[in-house]
Amino acid sequence: MAKTAKSRASKTQRDILDLLRKHGSRIYDDLDHGRFPNFEIPSRSVGNIVYDTKLRQYVLGKSAALRSSKNTSQLRSFTQLMWLAFFANRLTQEKKSSTLRDVYYSSQAFSIDFDDQSESDNIIVDLEAVLAKPREAMHIFPEERSSVFGDLDIEYTVPGYEGKRMNLSNHPDGYAIGPSLTSAELVGTSAEMVIAIEKGGLFTRFVEEQVDKKFKSIIVDTGGQAPRSTRTLLKRLHDELSLPVIILTDGDVYGEHIAMVIKSGSANAAHLRELTVPDAKWVGVWASDIERYDLPTIPMTDSDIKRCHDLQKDPRYSHGIWKKELEVFLKIKRKAELEAFSKYGLTNITDRYLPQKIELARSL
Amino acid sequence: MAAERFNQISPSEFFYRNRDLAGFSNPTRSLYTAVREFVENSLDACDQRGILPNVRLVIQAEDPEAKDPRTYILTVHDNGPGVDVEHVPLAFGTVLYGSKFGLKQARGMFGLGATMAILYGQITTNKPVHVSSSTDGKTKDVFEILLDIQKNKPVILKHTTSKARRRGLSVSITLEGDYSKAGSKIRDYVYQTSLITPYATISFEDPKGETFRYDRILKSMPPPPTVINPHPHGVDVETIRRMILESRRDLVSTGNGAADRLIRALGLKSSDAGYDVVARRVAQRWKRLSPSARLPAALATVLKCSPRDLPEMTIHDIDVADDTISYHDGMAGASKTAQLDRGQPYYPYLEEVAAGEPLQSFLTARFQRVGPRTAERFAKFAEFKPERRIGTLDNRELVRLSDSLQAYGEFLAPDPSCLAPLGQEPLRRGMAKFFEPDFLSVVMRNASAYSGFPFVVEMGIAYGGGIQTRGIKAYRFANRIPLLYDEGSDVVLKVINDMDWNRYKVKGEAPLVIATHICSTRIPYKTVGKENVADRPEIERELRLGLQFLARKLSSYMSRRGKAEAAKKRANLYAKYIPLVSQFCTELAGRKAEPKYATMLKAEDGGG
Repeated sequence: MAKTAKSRASKTQRDILDLLRKHGSRIYDDLDHGRFPNFEIPSRSVGNIVYDTKLRQYVLGKSAALRSSKNTSQLRSFTQLMWLAFFANRLTQEKKSSTLRDVYYSSQAFSIDFDDQSESDNIIVDLEAVLAKPREAMHIFPEERSSVFGDLDIEYTVPGYEGKRMNLSNHPDGYAIGPSLTSAELVGTSAEMVIAIEKGGLFTRFVEEQVDKKFKSIIVDTGGQAPRSTRTLLKRLHDELSLPVIILTDGDVYGEHIAMVIKSGSANAAHLRELTVPDAKWVGVWASDIERYDLPTIPMTDSDIKRCHDLQKDPRYSHGIWKKELEVFLKIKRKAELEAFSKYGLTNITDRYLPQKIELARSL
Repeated sequence: MAAERFNQISPSEFFYRNRDLAGFSNPTRSLYTAVREFVENSLDACDQRGILPNVRLVIQAEDPEAKDPRTYILTVHDNGPGVDVEHVPLAFGTVLYGSKFGLKQARGMFGLGATMAILYGQITTNKPVHVSSSTDGKTKDVFEILLDIQKNKPVILKHTTSKARRRGLSVSITLEGDYSKAGSKIRDYVYQTSLITPYATISFEDPKGETFRYDRILKSMPPPPTVINPHPHGVDVETIRRMILESRRDLVSTGNGAADRLIRALGLKSSDAGYDVVARRVAQRWKRLSPSARLPAALATVLKCSPRDLPEMTIHDIDVADDTISYHDGMAGASKTAQLDRGQPYYPYLEEVAAGEPLQSFLTARFQRVGPRTAERFAKFAEFKPERRIGTLDNRELVRLSDSLQAYGEFLAPDPSCLAPLGQEPLRRGMAKFFEPDFLSVVMRNASAYSGFPFVVEMGIAYGGGIQTRGIKAYRFANRIPLLYDEGSDVVLKVINDMDWNRYKVKGEAPLVIATHICSTRIPYKTVGKENVADRPEIERELRLGLQFLARKLSSYMSRRGKAEAAKKRANLYAKYIPLVSQFCTELAGRKAEPKYATMLKAEDGGG
């Protein structure tokens, strides 16, 4: 198993380094022949984001923008992009991770003068689009953290921990999904499914109630909208360990969309194709559950209702459960949180609701 | 008429009572105006004789401890032709004596201003004017003169002759002034005057002991303007009346020689040529007198004076209808009237003189652009006989003549030879020296005319470089005089403000200087202060066309400059970023040596 772990990590690394070298060489040749080099960057404008029914996610269309070093209004951002590729190359080679904020500060050592972090963040997305690789593959991570808990053996690939193994059920607070975990090899598990849950509070309850053992599951806290590292982990658990993924969210339109993003990505990341779990299943809390389980509710706000109407225009919400639940939300104009089950006792959600929903997921 | 008394006053007295009209309203204004009048007189005198002017202006406080307004001694020295010794008392001791009645471009008009300044000095300090004049550079005549205001006569307090070191004129007056307030105006005036007179060296020593000196930039000067007759469109009824009087006066003016010849012809000695004996002999010998002797003979008889005194008499008019002759008696210092006697033999002769020239020759001799045929055609147009004697026109006919001169459309355009623009090259040199700009362009428009007065507009535009002011700064000149005040209502400012400068790539606070120079035999000033020019459509048009021409030149300079700046900026950006790109891609590509991009940057640098 150790061998596989090593080879998988080094393959990802090799892919990135190859890509970076390819671009670097092309630009080197241009300069060497007295030509101004340029990058072709797939356009991320609204008009170029289309839904791919086959991939079941948003992807970028064919239009691309040329960023030329000859054009003086683009020269600065061209150089920033070059620097970032250079920086990512070093990170990947040295297997060091950095945060978005680190990138912003590191740039200052090279007089690349980013105006602010949002400018450097944008350049990072540009590089993702050029390489069609997520920034995590280049060892650049967001600050946000989410957690995982369950019987999962991993083997680290980060420097200093190579080959070291860990079981993710030893610490009840869960394990932060950070760079070392994202890049670790998934060695083995006894679990039969992954439960992604929107809220940290419920995650703790699930651990306490030993949902991992009772339902042979790995529990993932998405911390609201799932960060990309979390989505990458979910995808890997599904793809590499063949675990089905079910998703539990609050019973509102935002919860429904958290589930959708895990399943089919976000428009923001339409340039990336390794972040979705198309087979993931949203099992609740549905709008229809509110009546079925007689849950305490809160009235929907105007912005909740507007969000419903917006999502109805999204092709992914044009069929099945997604379409139906939006309609119910709009009909009852009320919403319920996961904690609403506490009305019937703190363990009601794990004792009664969860088993029914797992049963349901299996039948789908 | 019966109950009221009308008193005649002398011109001196008139100006004394109305001195603010001539710019002597308060100590500040008066000091400034006095400086202008003397400096301009000096420059005019040099211009007319083609002498490169050296003008030295000195203002000293009589008592340095006193507070403003206080007494100042204002002195202007020049290297001009000087004033003939016999003309000095009249030139500096009477009002309205001047040599500028002809029609040509000059800074001052009629030489009035300098005597006004002298008059002002005298009434505020009761001190005489000091004049030192040398016409040959060997001897100089030094005068101290006071002005008798009531009689308009000079009172010579002192006259000495001594050795001179150089030719020229110095005039020094003592006057009340306020330099603390007038100083900046006077310094501006000297500065701008030297800009528009780049062939002059002008220095100014101010009361604080500071010297402002502007050396000449050019060693050659524009040709002096010629004196020419007026254009028919440029005269009114009053001017025609004066021209008729002047034509008659020419006929009745007697030189010194004429009186002597008459005395000899009458067989007398000069010493005993008294009125009585002369009158008696004239009556006896009239028929035998030569034509040249008849005029002094007739005049001496009518004016009841000796022929010796005739040079002192100035004939104003011979009125045949009233049988009177009006004249100025220089010895008495008063205007007088004498009766003509129809019975005397001289009467038909004076009647003939009074009738004056025929219309046709009057027009051809006294107007520009009028030949015998034009005069004949005009006479037909105006319904006069060409041979009609000009002195016999009554008032209604004079008005008809004047109106017809205005209305007749066949006269040629005014002759600009009486104008003396500075010229493009001197203007360019002057502006280049004064502003050291990055860009400079000058233009002189062709001569044009308004209401019969020829004019020429020349102007220059300067941008950037040593220009410290922001926004458009206009220097206005008229007949080589800087116009410093009342900018707001001036036609030049109107034209500048009407321009859409954005179209010429001039943005808000551009360091821009515009100098305009209007030359004309008569500048249409809006006010007596001579500080702003009225917006005559013809002048406005020439200014506008000239300015548009210059603005187009500026515009193409600005776009060249813009392109050069953009290319420089681009080259700088490449020089900053491409080496970084090179460094990054070298490491990315896993290469050791950096790519050869140097020639690429060089091409961009030079290619922009």
